[in-house]
Amino acid sequence: MKRYTGFDELLKAQNSTYSDAPAFCYDCDGAVRTVTYGQWNADVHAEAQKVKESGYACIGIVCDGSYACVVMIFACVLAGCQTVLLEAMQNAQERQEALVHTDAEAVWMRGELRETGTHMAQEEQNRRNGRILFFTSGTTAHSRAVVLSDASLMNSAYNGGCMLPLTGDDRMLCVLPLSHVFGFVCSLLWPLSFGACVALSRGMRHYIDDCAYFQPTVLSAVPTLLQFLLKYNALNPQLHTILVGAGDCPPDVLQAVKKSGRHISFGYGLTETSSGVAISIGEDPLAMSVCPDDTITLAEDGEILIYAPTCIMQGYYKDRAGTEEIMQDGILHTGDIGMIDENGCLRIRGRKKEVLVFADGTKIYLPEYESRLAAAINNPETAVVMKDSRPVLVMQNNGMSRQDVMDAIGPVMKMYSRGRQIADVLFTDHPLPRTATGKIRRWQLQKEIGL
Amino acid sequence: MITREEVLAQIRTVIEENVQDMFGTDLQEDTVLNAEGNVDSMGFILVVTKLEGIYNVKIPDEEWYEIRTLGDLADVILKYMPEQ
Repeated sequence: MKRYTGFDELLKAQNSTYSDAPAFCYDCDGAVRTVTYGQWNADVHAEAQKVKESGYACIGIVCDGSYACVVMIFACVLAGCQTVLLEAMQNAQERQEALVHTDAEAVWMRGELRETGTHMAQEEQNRRNGRILFFTSGTTAHSRAVVLSDASLMNSAYNGGCMLPLTGDDRMLCVLPLSHVFGFVCSLLWPLSFGACVALSRGMRHYIDDCAYFQPTVLSAVPTLLQFLLKYNALNPQLHTILVGAGDCPPDVLQAVKKSGRHISFGYGLTETSSGVAISIGEDPLAMSVCPDDTITLAEDGEILIYAPTCIMQGYYKDRAGTEEIMQDGILHTGDIGMIDENGCLRIRGRKKEVLVFADGTKIYLPEYESRLAAAINNPETAVVMKDSRPVLVMQNNGMSRQDVMDAIGPVMKMYSRGRQIADVLFTDHPLPRTATGKIRRWQLQKEIGL
Repeated sequence: MITREEVLAQIRTVIEENVQDMFGTDLQEDTVLNAEGNVDSMGFILVVTKLEGIYNVKIPDEEWYEIRTLGDLADVILKYMPEQ
């Protein structure tokens, strides 16, 4: 597989090799419209010229999943802008905060570029070239802007492609948001690196019938989407490979895909590593092989440590302290707990960081959740852990019955959707294990209660 | 003229027929359907899409994140319902 140094090289190479082959297809008034690699290359360069002429140093792009959006992303990078990828489903205030934080001088939304009034400082302008910023998923207050580059993203696509090669005859259904690094790399760059075609989803209203409409051969999905498509028997017969990631996947979902005769791989990675660093390629979807550029070791407590020189982030935007907290001597401390099995494969066992990750890839920041619960039951020795893909409350026994606890936390539960609500209560006879600074030792707690 | 109560009843029916496992049976007006402004619950998307079909309304994408509870969903459907 060829490794591309950046978007410019990808465009040039694919334009030269696959000029007349379909690069994208999408719905246009009820018919499937196809764009060749040659046309895509021309569209990006034409748009890049306009972006250059605009003079903006940093542009935020609201990722609506359209072909115009894809063109704009590549054009901004080719034009040398700092490019910030923003969620389409975000309210105006959150978007404004993201634009200000990342120094975006203009924002592209539904085909229009408009000025924001922000001006990027010269110091940042000098470093802008090739930068692509992604926000980590999670509650807004705790999401961070991760500085990646077209080079790191192409390296990530190369790593994924080495593990799971595609062909020019493949068609990927791109249904994940491009503002998430998993969607960007695994729905877009991975197929484009092989000269395959990317079918751009018609949007959330069509999740259930897009497979029948576009007839993809490959799909990247988060666990909840895959579960949903399985439940409604929405996978098309031509679909032979599914890559699932960005959250824990229930084993029965993985088994159901295998039983259908399709290949399923599970990927592990972070926004900070430009997407996947380990992917399962064998019969067991949860046993992951480490990607060629990456090295994974385990700390004494089992924390997964990643050395990924070609794919690692440049840092969190304007957050040196946050960067230094997670990156030490080029090693990323993931906060995830893993093990290396007898075949040398990585398996994820849990998390020690202060978040719960759900199957749809979204997260809950635990200290906030736990403090609400602790206040409701008047017991500071309260923690939340995942059991069978549902959150359960663990507390030191203070004489309350399970029903007392469920009644007391009822008003708090009303703030959360059903999937995030406490499914059960587990009691311990001692205070929760904590670090010297008072943080809950989550991994130790999980071991204590037999999870 | 369709009333808010009728829309609420229809939402409950759609949930019960399609995604009861996701939202449970105790469906009150303040039952949360969509957490933290992230429109990524497949059940939620299915429910809204079905209701759009039933009432022939199209809720603009950017308003989906504002729908949090069952009551919010009823209100936004009524807001975009064609004049009768």
